Parts: sequence; C-alpha cells; structure tokens
Amino acid sequence: MTDVPVSRIRNFSIIAHIDHGKSTLADRLLQVTGTVSSREMKEQFLDSMDLERERGITIKLQAARMNYTAKDGQQYVLNLIDTPGHVDFSYEVSRSLAACEGALLVVDASQGVEAQTLANVYLAIENNLEIIPVLNKIDLPGAEPDRVKSEIEEIVGLDCSGAVLASAKEGIGIDEILESIVYLVPPPQDTVDQPLRALIFDSYYDPYRGVIVYFRVMDGTVRKGDRVRLMASGKEYEIDELGVLSPTQIKVDELHAGEVGYFAAAIKAVEDARVGDTITLAAKPAPKPLPGYTEAKPMVFCGLFPTDADQFEDLREALEKLRLNDAALQYEPETSSAMGFGFRCGFLGLLHMEIVQERLEREYDLDLITTAPSVVYRVTKIDGEVLLIDNPSLLPDPQYREKIEEPYVQVDMITPEEFVGPLMELSQSRRGIFKDMKYLTLGRTTLSYEIPLAEVVTDFFDQMKSRSRGYASMEYHLIGYREDFLVRLDVLINGERVDPLATIVHRDKAYYVGKALVEKLKELIPRHQFKIPVQASIGSRVVASEHIPALRKDVLAKCYGGDISRKKKLLAKQAKGKKRLKSIGTVDVPQEAFMAVLKL
Amino acid sequence: MLCDKFDSVFYNQEIENSCFDRPGAAYVHVPFCRRRCFYCDFPISVVGDNPPLTRQGPESAQGFGTIAEYVEILCQEINATPVLSRSLETVFFGGGTPSLLTVQQLDQILNTIDRRFSIAPTAEISMEIDPDTVELDRLKGYQAAGINRISLGVQAFQPELLTACGRTHTVADIYAAVEKLHQLDFANFSLDLISGLPHLTLDRWQDSLEQAIHLNPTHLSVYDLTIEPGTAFDRWYTPGTLPLPSDEATAQMYRIAQQTLTQADYEHYEISNYARSGYQCRHNRVYWENRSYYGFGMAAASYTNGQRFTRPRKRRDYYQWVQTLIEQHGAIDCVSVSLNDRLLDTLMLGLRLADGLSVGNLTEQFGEMVLSQIFACLQDYQQLGWVMYLDGSAKKREFLERSHPPHRIRLTDPEGFLFSNVVLTALFEQLSVTDP
Repeated sequence: MTDVPVSRIRNFSIIAHIDHGKSTLADRLLQVTGTVSSREMKEQFLDSMDLERERGITIKLQAARMNYTAKDGQQYVLNLIDTPGHVDFSYEVSRSLAACEGALLVVDASQGVEAQTLANVYLAIENNLEIIPVLNKIDLPGAEPDRVKSEIEEIVGLDCSGAVLASAKEGIGIDEILESIVYLVPPPQDTVDQPLRALIFDSYYDPYRGVIVYFRVMDGTVRKGDRVRLMASGKEYEIDELGVLSPTQIKVDELHAGEVGYFAAAIKAVEDARVGDTITLAAKPAPKPLPGYTEAKPMVFCGLFPTDADQFEDLREALEKLRLNDAALQYEPETSSAMGFGFRCGFLGLLHMEIVQERLEREYDLDLITTAPSVVYRVTKIDGEVLLIDNPSLLPDPQYREKIEEPYVQVDMITPEEFVGPLMELSQSRRGIFKDMKYLTLGRTTLSYEIPLAEVVTDFFDQMKSRSRGYASMEYHLIGYREDFLVRLDVLINGERVDPLATIVHRDKAYYVGKALVEKLKELIPRHQFKIPVQASIGSRVVASEHIPALRKDVLAKCYGGDISRKKKLLAKQAKGKKRLKSIGTVDVPQEAFMAVLKL
Repeated sequence: MLCDKFDSVFYNQEIENSCFDRPGAAYVHVPFCRRRCFYCDFPISVVGDNPPLTRQGPESAQGFGTIAEYVEILCQEINATPVLSRSLETVFFGGGTPSLLTVQQLDQILNTIDRRFSIAPTAEISMEIDPDTVELDRLKGYQAAGINRISLGVQAFQPELLTACGRTHTVADIYAAVEKLHQLDFANFSLDLISGLPHLTLDRWQDSLEQAIHLNPTHLSVYDLTIEPGTAFDRWYTPGTLPLPSDEATAQMYRIAQQTLTQADYEHYEISNYARSGYQCRHNRVYWENRSYYGFGMAAASYTNGQRFTRPRKRRDYYQWVQTLIEQHGAIDCVSVSLNDRLLDTLMLGLRLADGLSVGNLTEQFGEMVLSQIFACLQDYQQLGWVMYLDGSAKKREFLERSHPPHRIRLTDPEGFLFSNVVLTALFEQLSVTDP
C-alpha cells in the first residue's frame, strides 16, 4: 500500500434509499478505480451477507480503499465507508458518517427523495459532511432530473447546481463523481502528532482471528503490535494484524490520522469492540474519547422457541454465535408452559428481528416458533417500583399497577399526494397523533405523526407500502415514553391461558383486537375431535369468544386413475405441518397462531 | 435420528435386491368430455354436445377429429412401451368420458394392447360411461370388443342435483342406461354416487342410495365431494357452508351409505367402494395393494419397474412426450420410488381397504423395526377405535402382544375410514425420511 499524505485522503460514504442504486454505484467505483478487476467482480461487492444480496439491502456496513489518479495527475486514496440502509440501524449509520468528511447523496432520478434518505442526510449534515448530490438512473426513460433536483433543494436545502447526473448501471458520470470527491470533499485534518484516537464504525466476528474491527484513525498513528485500549469498554488488546480494505483485507504496518482500516487483536466478541467506541493507545491514552458513543438498545422483543424441544441447546449455541457478531442482539432464557424452553430476544427493530430469525433458521438449520413482537413498557407499581416489561404475559395485574407508559416514536413519511388520505387513516387507526404535513415539489408530501412504537412494530410498514402502492417511504425515531390506558389482553384456548398470545393493547381497542384475534385463531387452529372454545379476556372478563367446531371427517374419497401423487403430497404436507404444532393442553396449535396478532 | 434407524433397517441386501411385480393391469385415459362438470379439475378436453351424440354417434361431433388423432397417438404410446409382462388381468378405460369413443376406436385400442401385452381371457375389462352417451348398438359393440364391466357415472338421482353439478344426463337417462345394460346381460356394472353435493340433504341421500340399490348393480362407488382448487365449485362455494351440506351432514351421509349398503348385502371393501361378493373391482385393487400397472394416455399414471410416472397433462405436451418415448425406445425419464416412499404408499393405499395391511408383508418388505414404529404410532388410534388389529381368522384382536403380532392392520368402518387422513398423517410424520 502506498503511503499518501493526509491531504490526499478522501473519506466518504454513500447515502441512498433502498433500490436507488447505492450498491451498484459502489461496485462501479471499485471497478473504475481498478480496485477490483472486472473479472473478480461479483455483483454488489460490498454487500457480503447472502441475506443482503437477496434482499438488495445493506445491513452490515463495510469499507473499501481505492487508489485514484485524478485529472490533476496526483494520486489520491479514496475510502468508501458503506452505510446500512435501514432505519433499525441508524446508530450505525451515524457512526460511519462520523468517520467521513463527505457523502454522496444518491437519489433515483425517476423517483425522488425518500424518508430514509432524508433522515440519513440530516445525520450527515449534523456530522458536518460535504454532500455531493448524485442523480442516479439517469438513463431510465422516466428520469426527471430537474424535478428531483428541485426536490432535493426544497426538502434538504442542498444546492443542486453541481449535482452529478449518473447511471451506475451504464457507467455514466462515474469519472465526474470521482473528481467531485477529490475536489469537494475536504481532506481529513492532519492530527498525526496527537495521541491516537480511532473510531470503530463496524466490527465482525471471525472464528479464526477473533473480532475484526473496522475503524477510522481520527488522530495520531496506530501500528501493528501496539497495545490499544477501547475507551468505553475499558478493555485492552494487542494488535496482531493491521490492514486496509481494498475491499479484501491487505496487511499494513501502520495507519495514521485520516486513514481507514481494520485490526484483529484476539477480541472474543463484538460487544467488546462496539461501534462508536474510541481506540487509543494504552501507553499514551488520549484525554477524551470521541463524541457520540451510545450502546444500541433493543426496542423490540419476542420469544423464540425451538419447535423440537431437543433443539434448545442448538438454539442457545446459535444465539451465542450470532451475538459474537451482533452486539445489539439480546437474549435470555424464557420458559413458557405452552412453548417449553426458549429465549426472550431483544432487537433494534423489526428488520433486525427478521434477519436474526432468518439466519437462525437458514444458517443454523433450526425450526423456530416466534411469538408476536412486543415493545418495552414502563410500569409503575402502586408501591412506587418501576418495572420494564418486554413480555406482555409478565405485566402485573391491574390492582398492583399505578400506571403503564409506552414508547412513542415520530414517524415521518414521504408520499405522493394522492396517498395522504390512506396514510393518515392508517396512522390514526394506529393511535397516531398528527404533527405536521408539508407539501413538497410536484404533489409530494411529508407527513409526521407521533405513534406508539407498539403500533408500528406490527405491520405498519407493510400497510404503509400497500396503501401507497409502494410509493411512500418512512423513517421513525424514538421520542420518549407516554402514559396510556393500556390493558393486557389474554387469550384462552380450550379454557387455558396461552402466555405467548397475550398482548398489551389500548383499552379502547381491546374489544376490536380481541374479536379479530379470536376470529383469526379460529381460522388458524386446525379442527380437533372436540369443540374448542377460543376466548380473549381482560382479567376475568371475556371480551370476545369463538369456537372451533369439532372435526367430523378427514378422508380423501378418491385417487383418480391410480394417480396417487396428489393425495400423497397432501398427506406429506399435513405431516410436515403437524411437526410444527405446539400442544397447548390437548389442543395442537400451529406456529402461525403465535404471530396472529400481527395479521389482524 | 429417524433417518439412521431407517438406514439400518433398509440397508439390507434382501430388501435392496427385491424386484418388482410384473404389471398385470393397464389404465387407459380418455380425456374427452361433452362438458366439464362443476366439481371436476381433471385434465380433459371439452368436445361439446352439438350435434347430439345420442342420435348420430360421436363421428359427427366436432370433437371427432381430435379424438381420432388422440387414439392414434395413444396406440403409438402403447406400442412404444416396454413389455414387462405377457398377460394382463385387468384393463380400465377411465376419463374423461371413455364412452365418447366409437366402437372402432375402442376396438383399435384394445387390439393394440392385446397384441403387445396379451389380455388374459379372464381379464376384467372396465369402462366408465355416462348415462347419456350410449345407445344400445354402441354398447353392444363395446361388449363385443371385450368390455365386461361398466362403471356408470350416475352421481345423483335428483334432477336439481344433477343440474347443480353440471351433469349432462337426466334421471331418466340413468334408468334407460341401466335398462340397456340389463338387455345386453351386462351383469357386472357399477354405479358412481357423490355425497356432499350442493343442495343434498340426508333424506335425498337416503333416497339416492335406495334407488341405486333398486337398480341392482354389482358394485357401487360412493365418493364424498372434494372441492378441488380451480373448479367452478371452488369459485362458488365454501366447504361446509350452504348450499353445501355441513361437514357433520356429509360425515353422516358416509355413515348412512355404509349402513344402507351393507344391509343390502354390499361389502364395504374400500373407503369409497362397495361390492357384492366376488365383484370387487380387480383393477382398482391393484392400486390399493400397491402393485404395478401400466398407464396409457394423457395425464395417465403408471407404476412399472418401481417407477411412478404421470404423463403430461396437456394434449400437445403429451403428444410430444410420446414422440420422445418412441425415440428413446420406451425409456422414461423418472426416478424410482425410494423404499421410504414405497412404505408410505403401501400404508396410504392399503389402509383404504377393509382388508387393511398384511403385517407379514410389511415386515418382509420393510423390516421389523418399521413395524414396531407403526404399532407405536397407531396405539392412540386403536384406543380411539379407529384402528383395528385382526388375527389369522380375521377376528378382532383387543391387545397387541409383542410375541404374537396381529396378521392384519385395518381402519374401522365407518369411524376409522372417516378419519383416515388423521391416522395417515401421523404415520407419515413418524415414518417420513426427510428429503435430502
């Protein structure tokens, strides 16, 4: 690796909405600068998790160092620090932005600015980044660069006269982007002579080398063999391996202020090297850590239970392994009479939850039953004790409660004008409090609501997408706890209370939710040889009741002309479904039932 | 874990080398109908009923050219199929509506089969016919060609029910058809009835059964209506809700049929089939006993050399497939049924029969370990009264003794039959080896 002066380093990230072409652009930059040859180019180099590749979104951020000879004949080092594109990971976004001096704001020229982009642009502005607007997909017939430019100017307040018109797919405008990075993004401050401070913006667990920490040196110099201290965790390690990402790891002996790289130091879990922590030298520590460190706190909780009780230990091991790589994941053992042994797990948000579930099932081959997600309620008891409840079945009975508070979020949506009505209706039906509405360019509108998080973690996002035919986008952030008239809604199947089905709902919605829930359960629970009552209750008061009629017959009358394949498929499917049933008393309940509250 | 157990049982020379029985049965599919019945999702071509088939015969029907072409290709398929046995005990013409074939067409098919596979003189040769598609002469022609068993698609004895399910025939047609069969001394004939049709009541069902008995067939098939996806019924109705009878009512219809027909001296020998002594359908028993059979024609299924194969369900695809078959000299591209699948097939099919499963045969084919798993799995259902064990003289065994295993396992009639899928699902869950 060539040693370059700080004045010729540029650190930047790319801010873009899902599908606006961030990954394609990143690939193109790697290719044009010769960092990755066309031959070894897998599509979307930076998204290395399978799941990301499949969904086309970035979850874990990564970095790449590119050597670029600019038109002035000088050689520059450009460090691209990728940011995750989802609201659940906004803390990680803010840290990776803090490691940069500039950002490319990539907007699809046929679409426009979306809520998530906006949230990230504001984060970039807060971090004093130089922002270069890039209008991507300019080759599409529906591209309207002028409209989108004025939208960026109006919404974000950025001057777009210098915006680059590009098509990452077609390779249009790539040189211009590279030149803009060199000329517009300021070089890092030259603070090589100060005590070492480096910002961790990502880390991942490698089974052979321990945690690999991605960092940006803010001040000073770090060398291989240095004993470093992580200022938040207080732990000290000796650096075994130091390197840069190109985007594959290339070992170097030292990195100084302004540079981006990685190190390995036999760190056992990513929680010991959390994103946002400051690295300094143990021998000569910096007086103050870098600002902005917080510990990511789970906002959404759910129970994960193995379908097969034998898999409990496997599940524990899998969670341990995932946690090595995911400091935000929390879990603790949970026992439920209905579900047996499992874990109560905490996640940053719904996507995070989905990712973890999917990885457990896919990478660890586990069959899981997931209970409906819950948020963390703050319950004040009569005696003044304050409890944090993330499991509705543990909510104290009303006579012991003084009050319940629940987390509220501000939801910002950007939508074409014609969907304002349906989205307001949706927000209102989720107990949303209207805050603001602004008309943007050409029929686009922003809508702001304050909504209980519990109402957002169900299917709010899906509903927003379906009610706006996919056009609206949203972003949310926590604004605090508020007291509400909340009750615990219990579900009884065949007279037995089923803990995993208990939910906390607003009193005014309890009747409606109870009724919808028992109707849904009636649909989902297969018939048995006996009649099964399904009830929803608040305390001892039954608010809704249904029954599943007894099974009268289950027989296939006929196999046409010796073709037994269909009948067999049906039986095989039923047999497979039966494996995923959980016994509650004498009733077998399918896995979907535990997520029923999400599908009301 | 289960998989390991299986392997240890199955990796056994004797079992691996077991050869398959030689097919003694042939199914021929005739995928043409005048109209599509509202409950039917089977691959057929609708040829229409204008001009009326009954007067001038199908030669003048617009579908004639199509049928003639089909018969040609069907015969090509028969001639291209490898000969695994030289004596067929049963041939079955199913549909569709096989009675849309002319006598000559039927004769041509039967001759082709006979030349290639040789039909035994005592063979059972069945044909499904619709009550309104045959006149006396043609029936006589079929008989001369060799048909000796007729299955008549009656379905119901109430005009409004026949209309409701899209049948083309009338109640009078049923009586006229049976009259013709009697005239020709077609003693061996079966009637099909469907329970659970829209607007069907318990009284009407009882009435249908009695009228059927009065016609004195040797055999009766009684099917409970299944609403298949994509059918007209599927679009119009929801199972268990009006105008369809409730599940409780259709379960009751099943019991009524069992009671009424066994009292009238019909033996309930399979979940949906009844017969006078000596008149069980030999062809269908081949399926239920999981024995081999040839299959010819579009969408027809065959089970030969341990391979199950279903022919393409579209006519053009089928024609193309036959060309490939000829080019490949009769080789079919399909995989053999695994031993695990063969076990599941045997259970699923055998438990449809009143004779049930032979414990001796199961042990011989699949090993003792599998048998003990089966018994363990069936324990609950025996206690529920759905499963019954029989000893050598077909007497019921109350207790399962390890040292004296029963001779046969069967579902009880009617309760075990009614819940057969529950029992089978449990067996599948217990015994399926998961896909690799």
